[in-house]
Amino acid sequence: MRFTRFVRRIVLLAALPLLLLAVPAVSAATASAATGTGWVRLAHLSPNTPAVDVYLYSFGDSSAQIVLHHVAYGTVSPYEQVPAGDYTVAMRAAGAAATSAPVLSASVDVAPGSAYTVAGLGPESGLRLQVLDDQLTTPSGEALVRVIQASLKQSAVSVNWGGQVLDGSLKFGSVSSYQTVSAGTATLTVSGGGEQATASVPLAAGTVHTLVVLDGAKGLQIDDLLDAAGSGTDPAGGAATGFGGMAPRGPSSPLPWLAAIGAGLLLAAAGGLRVRARRVPAPAAGGKHRVPAARS
Amino acid sequence: MKGGGRHARRKGMSAGRRTAALLVAAGLAAAGAGAVGLVLTRHPDAPQAALLQALPVPTGPIEAAPPSGAAQVAEPASLVIPSIGVSTSLVHLGLTSGGALQVPPTTAVAGWYAGSPRPGAIGSAVIAGHIDSVSGPGVFFRLSQLQHGDRVYVRRADGTLAVFAVTHVQSYAKDAFPTTAVYGAVPDPELRLITCGGTFDYATRSYLSNTVVYAKEIS
Repeated sequence: MRFTRFVRRIVLLAALPLLLLAVPAVSAATASAATGTGWVRLAHLSPNTPAVDVYLYSFGDSSAQIVLHHVAYGTVSPYEQVPAGDYTVAMRAAGAAATSAPVLSASVDVAPGSAYTVAGLGPESGLRLQVLDDQLTTPSGEALVRVIQASLKQSAVSVNWGGQVLDGSLKFGSVSSYQTVSAGTATLTVSGGGEQATASVPLAAGTVHTLVVLDGAKGLQIDDLLDAAGSGTDPAGGAATGFGGMAPRGPSSPLPWLAAIGAGLLLAAAGGLRVRARRVPAPAAGGKHRVPAARS
Repeated sequence: MKGGGRHARRKGMSAGRRTAALLVAAGLAAAGAGAVGLVLTRHPDAPQAALLQALPVPTGPIEAAPPSGAAQVAEPASLVIPSIGVSTSLVHLGLTSGGALQVPPTTAVAGWYAGSPRPGAIGSAVIAGHIDSVSGPGVFFRLSQLQHGDRVYVRRADGTLAVFAVTHVQSYAKDAFPTTAVYGAVPDPELRLITCGGTFDYATRSYLSNTVVYAKEIS
């Protein structure tokens, strides 16, 4: 018996650290599953390259996670939410077999909470797939803007936003850095080589925009892409959305009340036993008095 | 002296009996008080799951977010979450003078923070509702029971419908609220449903945590 008890104790002691190890593993898995995603979008920004089919593969997979068919110049797909990890983007001629060798491919490492644009840039003769890191956080009350120069006709353009120069000489096939601008509507002017294009663009606070300069049918054209949006002004802290009507009242542990019940019952039992004890008369004293004393 | 002993005995018995009777009474009173206290401090009964009426799934023209331009999407008008029995109109919420999120004026309706993107447009749309009133459950009483994949429907002012699926549910201490995760910009149409949770602090009469449900548009 002693030995069995001893063994049982040892087993329990050994089990405890294993249980403790299990807890962080579970919570880590839940956290990464909940937030371990990023976003990817695909863009065709090479003016003299014909339409393409674009494939997104999880690294090592032979079947694509996303396929976009007949993507023509100027097209930017909406963002797709994908699990974080390594991916491969492949471009094939529109209509080519999915098993044929791609014209171009690039790898993207998607970090949790991050966004990327994979863009075909440059002239057809020098076509490349570039992975752009897209920014998602904006200064409170302001907007973020960057420009992609995808016009072949103009080797370099100057970009002006409401009087603020965003980039004085943005070369063809290149991407400007992000600029912080005041929220509001202002005129965007893009000029180069004697040509000019203007657009009235509203930039709401808390938004991120990518402006794409393209060769349109009538010359320089500006596409305004809303990349991301959040609250124009972030509320301070959380929300005071509760009044306590459904919260537990008083101490949540039942122990104090159970102790009171137990003590009370013990007291009552003690009192009851005393009553019972008192009913049995004391034999010596009673016997003596029963014999009446002889008195005159 | 004849009855003296008996008399004495009787006296002794009464005193003893009185003490015993007092003990019984005190004991029963204590036990009774304990029982009453135990009952009163148990968690108030939540509305029975059986009483939860099955809400019909909303129908209507479903419109996904347009490729760009938040202004193109109509404002939200109402919110339906069939799996937890929520069906409410949406009031507009702003910010308090202290910069915190305004809360709906009654505990029976939810509100959309008008400074956040419109539900169904690109970005993180914020909707808040009360978990309870001073006496009973509020519109978002069951919010923390939402599961991954549960559908959330937002009807817009123009009659179109935006459909979302829950991605995850988190609880945050209010004094460590992750502003960026909840209100920060995202590149696709998403929702944040916010209510209170956790321990209720009777000293300040407020809950110490917020429950945030994240959902993304699926059509």
